[in-house]
Amino acid sequence: MTGLVNPDFVPAPTVIMAAASEQYKEGVLMSDLRISLKRSAVGFFLGAMLGVLFGLLTARLRPVGYMLHPILNVLRPIPAIALAPLAIVWFGIGEPSKYFLITYTVFLAVWLNTDHGASHVATTYIRASRSLGAATWREFFEVVVPAAAPHIVSGLRLGAALAFLSLVAAELTGASSGIGYRIQESRQFLRTDRMFVGLVQLGLLGGLIDFCFLQISRRVVHWEQA
Amino acid sequence: MSGMAEAENAAPALGDVLVCHAEIVFEQKGRYVQALAPISLRLEPGSFTSLIGPSGCGKSTLLNAIAGFTPLTSGSIRVDGSEVAGPSPCVGVMFQQYALFPWFTARGNIEFALKRFDMSSAQRRDAALKALVEVGLEGKGDYYPGQLSGGMRQRVALARTLAARPNVLLMDEPFGALDAQTRLSMQELLLGIWETRRTTVLFITHDIDEALVLSDRIFVMSTAPGRIVDEIAVNSPRPRSVENIDDAYIANRSRMLRLLRSAHNAH
Repeated sequence: MTGLVNPDFVPAPTVIMAAASEQYKEGVLMSDLRISLKRSAVGFFLGAMLGVLFGLLTARLRPVGYMLHPILNVLRPIPAIALAPLAIVWFGIGEPSKYFLITYTVFLAVWLNTDHGASHVATTYIRASRSLGAATWREFFEVVVPAAAPHIVSGLRLGAALAFLSLVAAELTGASSGIGYRIQESRQFLRTDRMFVGLVQLGLLGGLIDFCFLQISRRVVHWEQA
Repeated sequence: MSGMAEAENAAPALGDVLVCHAEIVFEQKGRYVQALAPISLRLEPGSFTSLIGPSGCGKSTLLNAIAGFTPLTSGSIRVDGSEVAGPSPCVGVMFQQYALFPWFTARGNIEFALKRFDMSSAQRRDAALKALVEVGLEGKGDYYPGQLSGGMRQRVALARTLAARPNVLLMDEPFGALDAQTRLSMQELLLGIWETRRTTVLFITHDIDEALVLSDRIFVMSTAPGRIVDEIAVNSPRPRSVENIDDAYIANRSRMLRLLRSAHNAH
């Protein structure tokens, strides 16, 4: 089997393990993980909150929908990586530019799903709610929001995955720490083993977070599985 | 019958529905489609009326108009003297299916209807549990609709609709999706509850026997455009049960069959 792949390009798992322990001893493994997690978390929470808020507004308030739908539809195709240079000009190379990029990506995904869910509430639910005498605010919180919840939750799950994608976009340009930065830095030294450490970190972390999300969402929107 | 007389003595009976030349026209791809030809009818307080007719005859359109879901093109509908302008808790609606909120438990669904009243949460809970007992679902309060059978769900739906204390109860084929056995027990439940409460009921069905067992009066509708082609008074004594069949029942049954068949052939 030896000689099939060039070990300089695809290092053996043992070599990757060794690189990981080297990074661990240097201290960068955990500090990169911490800083990247923090960036994703901050961006995710900001983006998720704004996305749910805007999604509910654009879906349920017609004038707001008319005003914001065209803008959001033009923003949607713009990927975070294309915005990275602009983010640096606007916010500098510090943390705010990273937060901005991640927030932006998560926001769009969550907004789109929330908007879809909240604007496709079954007519029967709305009719039932109104003929049972529910006031508008009660219809909103007790009918529209739960009816849209499965879509909101799947938007959040997608948003969490996208937070990692845009995290790397943000860290590849103008960063001096984080998993994405470490991959970029390793490229300059042709350390593919260290690059793989970064990829494995991203893969494991993303997978773990998605798994947690799935478990939580099964409980939150339990009636979807019923 | 005596129950009705007492109710009239106590207070002006509520649940009086007056439909005057109600007409509904939809615009569809630039063409006007008459969903409901001008219809006039009255539902007397405390009466049980069925609407029967082929699919697409406008039964549901008429019901949705009385419920305030669909605006009239012309004419008027009044419930207890006031014009219907939108959904109101005075007019309760029970749908065919999928109308319970799946995110609330059976009790939560009923409490949703009770929240329009000034009640403490403990009172609301008690009232909801009582309502569940009334429809034969004692102990099922913490079940979600997804955990209940079709028949149980419709029992919860009935309890929820009644919990808002409507004066008029509109039922759009509420037992249409149930199997024959469940349907019979639901009819008996409904008859029992109606005979004590005497809420005005308008009941839509495809099922001739269901209409004959439940109703004081049956309107037979035909399609294109939806209109009422016959009115049948059912005078069999109450309380009724599904098993009791008399000569009048058989005569009415064959009359309705003929009407529905000719309405179907015409279509």
